[in-house]
Amino acid sequence: MSIRKRAAWATLAAVLPIAALADETCNSPYMGKLIKGQEDYVHVWVLGVKGWGDGNDKLVTVDVNPQSKQYGQVIHKLSVPGRGESHHMGFTDDRRFLWAGRLDDSKIFVFDLKDPTKPKLARTIADLPAKTGFVGPHTFYAMPGRMLVQALSNTKDHGGRTGMVMYNNAGKIVSTHPMPTDTIEGVKGDGYGYDIGINPAKNVMLTSSFTGWNNYMMDLGKLVKDAEAMKNFGSTMALWDLKAMKPQKLFTVPGAPLEIRWSLKEGDNWAITAAALTSKIWLVKQDAAGQWQAKDVATIGDPAKIPLPVDISITADGKGLWVNTFMDGMTRYFDLTNPEAPKETYSKQTGKQVNMVSQSWDGKRVYITSSLLANWDKPGDDNEQVLRLFDWNGKELTQKFEVDFKKLGLGRAHHMKFSAKPEGKAMAQAYGAQAAAPK
Amino acid sequence: MRALADGPARRWRITLPLAALTSIALPRALHAATDAPTQRPDTPRVDRSRLPAPGTYTLPVIQPCPDGLVLNHEGRGLRLRQALGQRLTVLSLMYTYCRDPIGCPLAWRVMTALHTRLSGDPALSSRAQLISLSFDPTNDTPAQMALFGRDHLRDPRVRWQFLTTASVPQLLPILEGLGQEVTVETGERGRPTRTLNHMLKLFLIDGRRRVREIYSVGTADAQVIHNDLLTLMAEDPPA
Repeated sequence: MSIRKRAAWATLAAVLPIAALADETCNSPYMGKLIKGQEDYVHVWVLGVKGWGDGNDKLVTVDVNPQSKQYGQVIHKLSVPGRGESHHMGFTDDRRFLWAGRLDDSKIFVFDLKDPTKPKLARTIADLPAKTGFVGPHTFYAMPGRMLVQALSNTKDHGGRTGMVMYNNAGKIVSTHPMPTDTIEGVKGDGYGYDIGINPAKNVMLTSSFTGWNNYMMDLGKLVKDAEAMKNFGSTMALWDLKAMKPQKLFTVPGAPLEIRWSLKEGDNWAITAAALTSKIWLVKQDAAGQWQAKDVATIGDPAKIPLPVDISITADGKGLWVNTFMDGMTRYFDLTNPEAPKETYSKQTGKQVNMVSQSWDGKRVYITSSLLANWDKPGDDNEQVLRLFDWNGKELTQKFEVDFKKLGLGRAHHMKFSAKPEGKAMAQAYGAQAAAPK
Repeated sequence: MRALADGPARRWRITLPLAALTSIALPRALHAATDAPTQRPDTPRVDRSRLPAPGTYTLPVIQPCPDGLVLNHEGRGLRLRQALGQRLTVLSLMYTYCRDPIGCPLAWRVMTALHTRLSGDPALSSRAQLISLSFDPTNDTPAQMALFGRDHLRDPRVRWQFLTTASVPQLLPILEGLGQEVTVETGERGRPTRTLNHMLKLFLIDGRRRVREIYSVGTADAQVIHNDLLTLMAEDPPA
């Protein structure tokens, strides 16, 4: 595989991305308990690798509080059976449960984080394809009392047409929503899905588009030589009436628009995304007439070299954007003071391959991980698998620690989520303690 | 009095002298209401111009509403399903002395704004109701709930029930069934303080006691909920 993969990566123009929802500033707007100070733990959803430890996919917990004696160390790992292309995670609205998906076998694992130092597997949902016809649960987006799950593919042809599934927090399906394939105002929907971004105040939801199982599970060397397969990538974004869950408008956004980040600044009415194959930043914003429009506003690196923007992370004040580009291992900072014209103001190589980027709410800490997809990660020595923490002082990223997931036999490090020590005690526990206390 | 270190607890402490100055018997609930920010009750939290018209969309069934034993404001025991009956219900889980501006005080503003809207819509108010259910049975006794809701309990135009429970064990199954997590700050010797950590959640429940929508800070808006009530009413119009 390694020879083929090297050849594939040499054919940069054909490389394709997968990134993720990540950090504290990019959570669902419905989520409570945002961590606006120091996060205590980072949970990493890991792809198992045959011969590395037990070889299974796993949730790995790292202590990241500098006041802790275990700072920068793995404090817990919880394996789940087999390898199914672990990918993304999302908290429920109350931050109690962490849903984690696998793109190959479409299983969803629900972890209970009542004690974030010892996550427990609470539930496994294994019937997503059978119940919905969708494949590849990708984005897990909290809504009040429920989770909206964006799939990437379907059971009929394993192509890119797919949909969203609404679960309640108990794991029961509430509703399903196919991605639009109709023509709206002259733009035809491709039916593809990738990310979800909701603006509750505007009653709108944005979705983006990637590709199906046939492509994301294909060996990269084979994929890049398959001209027909290369046509099967998303080129649209959809704007939905959130309450009605109906698509209202489609935007043509070529080159697989991926992560969607709404500005969190009070009064802002725009979202940003990055198109991986064209290396462009797109802005979705209301115009003077109140109509939503999408436009290309910046270029990431040299598109001819296909830097491959994967994950993006917006600052809490909406004035900055971190962009990881997988191929060159760069972490780039864009000034978003004018979202109509983002400007790259800083860059640093943070790894041989970098995918996820997650920042703390105050923007002072930036975490990166390394894995894109099992069959797409770089071969040989370039296949480093790490979690790295950097401090950001506004001018320079300074590495604070590294966890080597290969050396520790853990697997490929993909998506990250933060957690903190719990506030208070559960009611049953608190009042039980009261009854036992001396009067 | 013991020192309370955390922010919410400190905020609670400063209410005590006010109570002492005003009246020794002044219910804490009155403070909860008067302490709320002086925002107009019906201040929009969403761009209402972008909401779909009532009846043009459907609300999925999210989950069944759990049952459990509750107490009304007179101390009479009943089951939650009896309190719900077959009415369309907006259920607010709250506690009367909450000071979090995006917690119970916000829920209170939304509920009072809904009350105003229902007061002017006899057709809807004949089929709908409001319920405030405390998740602090220790402090929110039936008498406390009666004081808290007294102005609205007397209003014949809109049915608004103020409920509590007899104990934490009777409350917990309801919270768990609704998916409302509440934790308690503890103080000396692990004893619970009066500070409860919770997310704001309002539940829209249909006449078959199914949860059809859940509102949190971003969507707890009287117009949104009013529209949803009308949408549910349109599903099953009166004969």
